[in-house]
Amino acid sequence: MKLNIINDFDLRKQAEELGVSIWQTPSFLFIVLGAIVICIMTAVFFITRYYNSPEILVISESMIVGFIFTIGNLIIRDIENMARTNKMKSEFVSIASHELKNPLSEISWEIDLLFSKYAETLNKKQSEIVRNIEKSNDKMIRLVNDFLEVARIDQNRMILNRKNINILKIIKEEISGNKILAKLNQVKIELIKETDNCNVIADERKIKLVIDNLLNNAVKYNLSKEGKVEISLKRKNDYLVVSVKDNGIGIPINQQKCIFEKFFRSNNATRYQTQGTGLGLYIAKNIIEQSGGKLWFESKENEGSTFCFSLPFN
Amino acid sequence: MDKKILIIEDDVILRETLSDYLVKEEFTVVTASNGEEGINLAKKERPNLILLDIILPKKDGFEVIKDLKRDEKTEKISIVLLTNLESLNDIEKALNLGATTYLIKSDYSLEEVVKKIKDILNQ
Repeated sequence: MKLNIINDFDLRKQAEELGVSIWQTPSFLFIVLGAIVICIMTAVFFITRYYNSPEILVISESMIVGFIFTIGNLIIRDIENMARTNKMKSEFVSIASHELKNPLSEISWEIDLLFSKYAETLNKKQSEIVRNIEKSNDKMIRLVNDFLEVARIDQNRMILNRKNINILKIIKEEISGNKILAKLNQVKIELIKETDNCNVIADERKIKLVIDNLLNNAVKYNLSKEGKVEISLKRKNDYLVVSVKDNGIGIPINQQKCIFEKFFRSNNATRYQTQGTGLGLYIAKNIIEQSGGKLWFESKENEGSTFCFSLPFN
Repeated sequence: MDKKILIIEDDVILRETLSDYLVKEEFTVVTASNGEEGINLAKKERPNLILLDIILPKKDGFEVIKDLKRDEKTEKISIVLLTNLESLNDIEKALNLGATTYLIKSDYSLEEVVKKIKDILNQ
């Protein structure tokens, strides 16, 4: 009987999500409150029947109210504590990530300086080593930026710098930026434009992030020798819809509902690609939704995926 | 290009790397490691452009902007904020106080920083 209640009220899931034991979850405390109230009211019923006096009734009802306030207060303080801890964790991620940005900028600029002004002093092997350091540093910078973005999303502090932007231009830039990776993975990228109006009001940097993530995924998770990625832009009512279609490894059906979760990477993705934080789609979905659009996908394992997002026209 | 740039940045590596690069790009460079020193140098050296960090010891970036905009000798100098996007509010505040523009340190290569400087100085 107890197990059924736990499943119905999803106490175990709530306990896991909030990081507390089952007995500390708000739902459990509500159940306790309900049980106590029922017991008291039953007792009141029998007592008043036995004593038949209005004073007893009033006293008993006051006790019920007292209990509700006490336990209600406990529940509220419980939730407050959890929210506070959550906020502190999020703020910690923000502060830590900001602290990391300075040293990362330092490394980045030192390498810039080395390559642009002192390159003649390096031999081929040394150059290669420093280029690798640069690549690793770039990875770290992207990671830190991702963590910061996630922390901001969790704190509802996402920064959107809305301006009139041309999506087609951004897509073309991203295709060009991903050209090398595409060549390495033997993937062809094709752009299909089905509408002339490609201007929306959104944060250019953030939308670039989204397109980069979708395109990068489409190219990365592709094993076939004839990899193909089709990016199309079309108009659907008042929205500009961008689709990124690939013939890659796809997403297994039982993993599809988790694809937008933080840190989630499907099994076949981690099997073929050890790199990836699992944050890209979480961030992308938040960016698109906060920009007034939607992000969705269709996918079949070993056949490919199509990721689409919509943005409202001006 | 023979223009004078003042760098006000407390991080020694960022300050010196930026300075080194700008000198190789044929700019004249003066540097300060805190807000107070920055204000004094700006008034003494009269640079064409100032690269200014927001978080500084002695006087922070906002106070530097306020001070320089109050003085007719320095009010016309272009000010470019160097930030790691600590907060959008800070950037807005600085722009409202009179900063010309901002750039995010971890997103810009030195080459891109110089391009931005040249764009502003050519306007």
